[in-house]
This record gives sequence, C-alpha cells and structure tokens, in this order.
Amino acid sequence: MKGFTAAFLIWTLISPNGGGKAWPTHTACRDGSLEVLYESCDPLQDFGFSVDECSKQLKSNINIRFGIILREDIKELFLDIALFSKGSSILNFSYPVCEDDLPKFSFCGRRKGEQIYYAGPINNPGFEVLTGEYQVLLQLYNGNHSTVACANATIICS
Amino acid sequence: MAPHGSCFLLAVLLSAGCKAIASSDQMCTEKEANKTYNCENLGLREIPDTLPNMTEFLEFGFNFLPTIENTTFSRLTDLIFLDLTRCQINWVHEGTFQSHHQLNTIVLTGNPLIFMAETSLNGPRSLKHLFLVQTGISNLEFIPVHNMENLESLHLGSNHISSIKLPENFPTQNLKVLDFQNNAVHYLSREDMNTLEKATNLSLNLNGNDIKGIEPGTFHSKMFQSLKFGGSPNLSVILKGLQNSTAHSLWLGTYEDIDDQDLTLAMLEGLCEMTVESINLQKRHFSDISSTMFQCFTQLQELDLTATHLQGLPSGIKGMNSLKKLVLNVNNFGQLCEINAASFPSLTDLYIKGNVRKLDLGTGCLEKLENLRKLDLSHNDIEASDCCNLQLRKLLHLQYLNLSFNEPLTLQNQAFKECPQLELLDFSFTHLHINTPQSPFQNLHLLQVLNLSHCLLDTSNQHLLAGLLDLRHLNLQGNLFQDGSISKTNLLQTLGSLEILILSSCELVSIDQQAFHSLGKMSHVDLSHNSLTGTSIDAFSHLKGIYLNLAANSICTIPPHLLPILSQQSTINLSHNPLDCTCSNIHFITWYKENLQKLEGSEETLCANPSSLRGVKLSDVKLSCGITALGIFFLVVFLLSLTTLFIFSVKFLLRHKYQNI
Repeated sequence: MKGFTAAFLIWTLISPNGGGKAWPTHTACRDGSLEVLYESCDPLQDFGFSVDECSKQLKSNINIRFGIILREDIKELFLDIALFSKGSSILNFSYPVCEDDLPKFSFCGRRKGEQIYYAGPINNPGFEVLTGEYQVLLQLYNGNHSTVACANATIICS
Repeated sequence: MAPHGSCFLLAVLLSAGCKAIASSDQMCTEKEANKTYNCENLGLREIPDTLPNMTEFLEFGFNFLPTIENTTFSRLTDLIFLDLTRCQINWVHEGTFQSHHQLNTIVLTGNPLIFMAETSLNGPRSLKHLFLVQTGISNLEFIPVHNMENLESLHLGSNHISSIKLPENFPTQNLKVLDFQNNAVHYLSREDMNTLEKATNLSLNLNGNDIKGIEPGTFHSKMFQSLKFGGSPNLSVILKGLQNSTAHSLWLGTYEDIDDQDLTLAMLEGLCEMTVESINLQKRHFSDISSTMFQCFTQLQELDLTATHLQGLPSGIKGMNSLKKLVLNVNNFGQLCEINAASFPSLTDLYIKGNVRKLDLGTGCLEKLENLRKLDLSHNDIEASDCCNLQLRKLLHLQYLNLSFNEPLTLQNQAFKECPQLELLDFSFTHLHINTPQSPFQNLHLLQVLNLSHCLLDTSNQHLLAGLLDLRHLNLQGNLFQDGSISKTNLLQTLGSLEILILSSCELVSIDQQAFHSLGKMSHVDLSHNSLTGTSIDAFSHLKGIYLNLAANSICTIPPHLLPILSQQSTINLSHNPLDCTCSNIHFITWYKENLQKLEGSEETLCANPSSLRGVKLSDVKLSCGITALGIFFLVVFLLSLTTLFIFSVKFLLRHKYQNI
C-alpha cells in the first residue's frame, strides 16, 4: 500500500498541467515557395493566425486573420519582433499597435476576457523574402508588460 | 490487495478533479494580505477555503463557475471588487450578492449568460461599476433593473445590441459612463435618447457601431461629457444628427482597418450647429483641404489631427482664434512652417511628434505663437547644426520642450535664449554636439527638469550645465565619463538645487568622495547598472534620508566604516550585485539584516561568493564568524607557552652572559 501511495503522490506531483506541454504547430500560410509555421509560446493559451496571401514577393499592406481570447486589456498594445537566421540575430524591432493617443486598429481598447477576431490589413511594407529558413519570435504585450500573445514562427523560403 | 488496487484506480480517476482544488489553495496569489487576491487561470470550481473571509479585492477570472448563486461567495462578505471574467457563467441566480453590502464593481466580461434573475444583483448598497462586455446580450431588458440607483458606469461592449434604449424604469441619474463599443447599433432615435434624460455629464461610447441614421432632434439640447463615434464610415450623418447638442469632447477618428469616405466641407458643416470643445479626427483623410474646411471649427479649444495624411495646413484659416491645443502627430510635413501656425494665435499646446518625413524646423516658424507653453517635437528625425534660437524664435512663454528621439543637434552658448521660461527640457536619445567650454543651458534660471539620457554628451565639459540655478531633476543615463569616474571637480558642481540625479548605465567605475559635495539637497540618486564598488558609498556621507539605487553594480564588500552612511539613508537598493557572503563582509551582512525595512529589491539581493552560498538571498544568510571557545582555549595555551618560553630564554641568555664575566 505504501508503494502505491508513494507512486500516487509522485504521479500527482509530476502530472499537473502536463509539465509544460507545448501548443501544436499551425500553418499560417503555405504556397509554392513560402511556408510560415507558428506555435504559441504563451503557456496559458493557443491562438489562431493566418495570412491571406503567401508569396516570396511580400506585398505591402497584406491581410491577416487573427483570433484570440484577451487575457489583458489592450488600451495599449505593443509588438516586439526578433528575427533570427541560422541562430544569429538579424533584426529586432518594436512597434506600437495601440496607444492612448493613437489607437491604430478598431480592436484597440478592448478588454480582458473579450474574444477577438480580426480580419484586415496590417500596414506592412512590401519586401522580398530571400531564400532560407528564418526563426521569428513575436510578442504582443500591453502597457504593464503583460503578455497578450506570444508566437514562435518559422519561415521557410525556397 | 484487490481493494487497495481499486482504491488506487479510484484515486487516479478522481485526482484530475481534486488536483485543481488541492493545488489551487496555495496558488491564489496574495497581493495585499487579507485584502487583495488573484486566483486567475486556476480552473477553480469554487472559492478556495484558504481565501480569508475579509478579502476585499478578488480577481477570479478564467475559472469555471457555470452557476453562481447565494452560496457561491457567501463567505466573502467584505468584497468590494469582484472580477469573474470568462468563468463560463451561464446562470446568475436570485440573491447571488445579497450579503455583499460593500461590493461596488462586478465584472462579468466574456461569460455566456443565459439568464440573470430579477434579484441577482441585489445586496450591494452602492453598486457603481458593472461590466457585461461580450456576454451575448441582444436586448437591454436582460439586465436586472433593481439596485442600479448608484450605477456610475455600465459597460455593454461587444454584444448584439441594436438599440441603446434602456428599459423604462432603469435609473440613470448617477450614470457617467455608458459604453456600447462594437455592437450593432445602426440607428439612434429620440425615444432611445430620452431614456438617458436624467443622466448628466454622460460619456457615451458608440465606437465600432456603423451608425446609418439619427432621427432629427435626437440630441437636441442634450449635454455630454464625451461622445465617441470612432470608426463610423459616414460622418455627415453623425454630425447632422448631433444638431443643437453640447459635448465637451467628440471622438470621430477612424482606424487602419476601416474604409471611410474623405472628409469634405459639406460633411463637416454639421459642426456649426453644435457646441464642442475638443475634437479628434485621427486617421481620417481630408479631400482638397483649404482654409474654408475649418469654418465650423471656430469655437474649438482642442483639435487632434493625428495621422490625417497632412502635408501642410492651409494658410489663412479664419476664426480658429480660441484653439488652445493642436495635435499634428504622425503627419507628413516637410518643414515646420507648413503648418501655418499664424492661424492659431491662442495656442498653448502644440504636438508634432512621429512625423513620417524628416522634419525641418526652419526659422521662426512658430514665432506667432506667443502664448505657447508646451511643444512636443519628438521622434521627427530633426537635425540642426545650430539649435535652437532661430528655430524657436519668440517662444517667450514656452515651459515644456520635448526634442527627444531626433537626429544630432548642435547646441551653442545660450541655445535657449528665446525661451527663458523653460521648466522642462527633454533631449533623451538625441545626440547633442556641445563644444567645450560652451554652456547651452545658461540663463534657463527656471528650468527644473532636464533629461539628457543617451545624448552622448562630452561630460568633461565643466561648463555644460552652468546657469541652471533651479534644476531639481537631472537625467544623465547612458552618458560616459572620462576613465569611468566622477572626479572631485565635475559638471554637476553648479547644481545646488538638485534633488533627483540619474546616472544609471554610465559605465562608472568610481566616484570621488567629494564629487557630490556641493549637492546638498539631493533626495533620489540612481546609480544602477554601472561597475561601482562598495567604496563609492563614501560620496554620500553628507546626505541624509535619500533614496539610493546601487542595483546591478560590482559591489562585493562594504567596509564597516561606510555602514553609518547607509544607515542615514531612507531606501537603498543593492540588488543584482556580486555580494560577498564570507566573514570578510560580516559587518555589512549583519547591518543588512537589521535594516531590511530600508532595503528595496531584497528578493534579488543575492550572494555571489562563496560558491556554496551563490544565489542565496542575503537576508537568509547565517554566518558565524566569531572565535569559538575551543579556539580561545588553544590561543590562551599558545600565548602562555610563548610567554614561558620567552621568560626562560631571557633567563638563559642572562645567565649565559654573566657566566662569561
């Protein structure tokens, strides 16, 4: 019996929350030469994301679709992007999505607990993706630096 | 064995359910003892037993409470704030909050509510804020009207509401905020608005509703604190509908993801028929902007034209005499003169930040703005080889100037002679060229706050800060000093009024003991993120009761004679230093434990040495460095034998000497 109790105790100790199980990898877009995969790195939840057009010659102002449950208010919302290739950092930048004095998108100002579905343009510049494999870390956070969304993405361009 | 086996199986089966409850008891985080708790994301099915009865603020979002009723929260009678965001609540039964007399805020955002009982919100004596955002409401009769007499804000965003008409007996006399964001309101009628008649100074938010029509007279002689129609594609309908109304502020901006019509003179005509002090038109497009475009803006005090694709403002705009505040951020100006500032003679606040193009300040472009108090020109790629007297000509009353995040500027002697009233000056992240021995800030006798962080200053210039007689707050973060040290004679010596000094991330290695001697009024010194050692503390011997941040430096030991200097200060941060936890530092460690109430960041104040104690909190370290009883015994024996030996050898020597005679 002692053995069972011990085993049971150990099992209950180890098993909560699956011990950091990862969210599944999704495909944001795929076509002949370009493939974008992502997985959520927010331990609390997954989210849905897709890009309407996937092309090596990325157009400006592309349309995306995005679905998530907000775990924080997003009166202020910032996006950090870190781009890596072959393990070395190529580019880092931070972009304000929603600010008190400039809410750029219609979803700015929505509240914790709301479910959001956004289908629309993102105001990006157009550029050509060079052949290779890239890792991208995207983080959305609010004015208190609380995570709103986090994604580990892989871009494969052949 | 068989029963044991089945017990185990049963335990395993049940554990999934039990685990959450069992583990969660410890997992609610205490933010303030017996008062504020956060139990979010724990999958709880009930209020944990461990929460104290006197809990006042409870964040309970993202748990599982399909039904809430009078027993659900009955134990927590002192609740003031209750957040039940996304708890999958379907039913709010009778008397759920009947014993919660103090409750003033209930958050039910994101719950798929099926029904709220008539008396479900009864109980609180003064229920002020109710959040029913995204709860699937399509009919406002759904909200129980009882006990709403004290309601100040009602949040109904992201529902399926098509009419803002409140139930007839809904008390609105105290209502200040009514939020209908992202609903399906397409039409506003007089009847709708009449239900809000008793509300005074109301802020009504209709952002994200596609308003297609407003019945004439709906807003007739109605007064609002603020009205928001953000993202409405058809502004003329709205402005026509607002006839004869009064609003302190009117938000008519749009967004990146919304297609809208260009603004025309005809569209804005409705503004002539209403009274409004402040308008926001962010992200709208003007078609063919001319001086007549603004003919209905004459009474306006504040105008926000952020990101309206402007390349200039027309000259000769008439009647904008009363405009006090103008926001022109994120536009497309080439030169500052293109805003034709002369049209706004009363302007006190002007914001032009984040211009899309490189902005040229020109010469005297703002000289007609003699009442200007506040000017923000940050994030504009401004570059100037001789700043700023020509550029800021005649801004005699300017008090606040922000030139942060620009391209390199060269400042000469008395660079702000034209703005002698300046109280705050911000240059952070703008590279400043100042030749030695120039004193650009001379005669800014009223300047109180100066931000020079990351300006790549030449700090060896002793005259750099000359003339700042009233400076209280100086930020020099990220600037470098010769040899990484602040010597006895330095650029700070003239700043006798200084109270707040920030020298973080300056790669400092040492500070002379006399370096801050002329700064007798300092109350806040930030030296974090440098490479200072314990001896730098000597520079603060003449100061008392200050906040001293020494986080992230290279402090290993602090000699005992410097501890009284720390003792006389009010708050000290020593976190993220490679602190020594051996007996050589025992005086400091003892002092540290006795003065924990003075110390900030004690969770991150850890030992680095010896390796056995690496990462241990300094407050948890126990060292015994005195000599033990056994040690004293051996020392005494050793000393005794040494004395005996000495006496014998002297005796022997003397005897030997006299024998020879």
